Amino acid sequence: MSLRRFIVPVSAFVLQGCAGLQSALDPSGAEAERIGTLTWLLIIFSTAILVAVCVITAVALFGGERWRARISGERTVIGGGLAFPILALSILLGYGFYLMAPGSTSARVEGGLRIEVVGERWWWRVTYVDESGRRTESANEIRLPVGRPVELELTSADVIHSLWVPRLAGKLDMIPGRTNVLTLEATEPGISRGQCAEYCGGPHAFMSFYVIAMPEDQFSSWLSGEAEDALAASRDQAAGQALFLSSGCVACHRVRGTDAQGTIGPDLTHVGSRHSLAAATLENDVAAFVRWIRDGQHVKPENLMPPFEIFTEDELRQLAAYLDQLR
Amino acid sequence: MDLRNLHWTTIAKVAGLGTGLLIVLGAVFVWSGIYNVAASKDHLRITTWILTLIRERSIATHSFKIEVPALDDESKIRLGASHYEGGCVPCHNRPGEEINSIVKGMLPPPPNLLEIGKHRPPEEIFWIVKHGLKYTGMPAWTNVLRDDEVWALTAFLASLPATAGDYGELAGLSRGQGNAREEPANGRALNVCVRCHERDGMSTNGNRVPRLAGMPEAYLLRSLQEYAQGTRASGVMEPVADLLSEEAMRELAAHYQALPPVAGTAEPDPEQLRRGEAIARRGIVGQGVPACLSCHSGRQSQQFPVLAGQNAAYIEEQIRLWRRGGRIGTPYGRIMAAVAGALDEGQIEDVAAYLASLPPGRAPDAPLAEAGR
Repeated sequence: MSLRRFIVPVSAFVLQGCAGLQSALDPSGAEAERIGTLTWLLIIFSTAILVAVCVITAVALFGGERWRARISGERTVIGGGLAFPILALSILLGYGFYLMAPGSTSARVEGGLRIEVVGERWWWRVTYVDESGRRTESANEIRLPVGRPVELELTSADVIHSLWVPRLAGKLDMIPGRTNVLTLEATEPGISRGQCAEYCGGPHAFMSFYVIAMPEDQFSSWLSGEAEDALAASRDQAAGQALFLSSGCVACHRVRGTDAQGTIGPDLTHVGSRHSLAAATLENDVAAFVRWIRDGQHVKPENLMPPFEIFTEDELRQLAAYLDQLR
Repeated sequence: MDLRNLHWTTIAKVAGLGTGLLIVLGAVFVWSGIYNVAASKDHLRITTWILTLIRERSIATHSFKIEVPALDDESKIRLGASHYEGGCVPCHNRPGEEINSIVKGMLPPPPNLLEIGKHRPPEEIFWIVKHGLKYTGMPAWTNVLRDDEVWALTAFLASLPATAGDYGELAGLSRGQGNAREEPANGRALNVCVRCHERDGMSTNGNRVPRLAGMPEAYLLRSLQEYAQGTRASGVMEPVADLLSEEAMRELAAHYQALPPVAGTAEPDPEQLRRGEAIARRGIVGQGVPACLSCHSGRQSQQFPVLAGQNAAYIEEQIRLWRRGGRIGTPYGRIMAAVAGALDEGQIEDVAAYLASLPPGRAPDAPLAEAGR
């Protein structure tokens, strides 16, 4: 195989990692754009230095007498070895501070929308606190209005987690007993993927989530819908709802507007409207609900929801259909 | 031949020949069938001596590290005596009574256990009951997970001979024979449910036996089926359920659901009740413990047992069994395993005391899970 025939497909495959929902090189948020700028600046700058060093090395090895004398001169050593690095690195550092400063807490928006995100083993408890102080609990998905900085108050209920949405911002640790504040500002509508970035136990790799940036008007109508109770189950869903309420699900899960008031696991009031199940482990459809309820320990080993192998196929489908229509 | 100057090869040859001869003789002895294995003929004195020595040394060594829990507990003795009546009497007979002439023909014959509590320390009794003895006819416990049951039987045996006089009362014989509906199918000693469980107006025989009156029929039926299949481990209930036909199980489940529950007599301290109530009604969110009553109040699936008024000692022992991994054989058991694993010992006692203190039947309506964190 010729080298070229090998390199082309491999590099195409490798470069795919640079695009997509979870790529820091494809920013769609204010902080991620600044990080992106800094990243490219550093890459270009370092590449230029590398090329320059290679050229100088080549000249030192193969160049003529005059060039070699010039390189070995004291002026080159002091200029290129001391003055240039000090100057260049200082400028870069200053620029870095300047660029990343808006991402710090100075950008706090008093009285605006806040989102409390609690890292749990191994999912995300997400509570929207709007301008009027109304709290709306959801899970495993964060929705943001485009063009408005939103504060995320991060903490953890158990071990240290870390919230990282590469397309929107850098990562910030979630530490038990402490609240860290991260400001996210989406610059364009669309979906990005986030990931727990601090090893937190067995299913750590399956602790992800989607962030959906929506235009302001869509966002506010979504949030008022999310704050509402679940719709009363239709006649078709009555059997599924009865199973949900009588089989122990309610001990850990809440569906507002019903007797299900558990708070140990994720709030399921509008679970059917989310983009994923089990913290971005599964698609969100009836089949995925069935799999999760019965085989959750195979899908996401060691997760804290016990396996419910007590249902017949029909019951599972009814239960899954009920959950799926909670939108 | 000079015996003092034998070359080592000669010694090796003689030793090899001797060993070969012994092996051949041994093989001839075994294959010829001369040795008499009949139980009608006693062992040689030396064989008996060796077997006894090996047995006693083995029991002493293997029970050396066993830690003995408190055994002077009447409910343990009652549970042990009740199981003894069904499981042990066929060979060992009731304490103080002669073993019957059929089992007397066994070699070795099952010992009379009247004085066992004087002869053997409890750890040795426990080890023998749990593991049985090879080539004696003494069986091992039906599973290795139910040390709690083995200790109950040990408690009874260790209390002999002092309790021998009360045997009939302890084993539930004086609770009467069941009527036709309580004594299903083949009314063998094992199947007399009322020796342990409730019967008209009488509570259970000691508080380590679960109260069944008023339990959902579906739960009772499933439990019997799981015992019979061996997916729910119990040396006490597996042999009982093994003997039941599907129809008998259904009848029994229906009978106990219809039986009016008898109020318990627990008198726990109010502080403990308060702690237990918090767990039972609201759970411990930080520990991932859901509220017990969100499944066990009687208003949910008929497959879940109602725990209001259940015996506290039984609840505690079952939760501990879950924590040891002894109840993961069934789908329902695997759900509860996650909950039991999150409770600590003090919380188990608190919540069991609270549940036991509730009036039997459905738990009162009240908001269950906690509103905030």
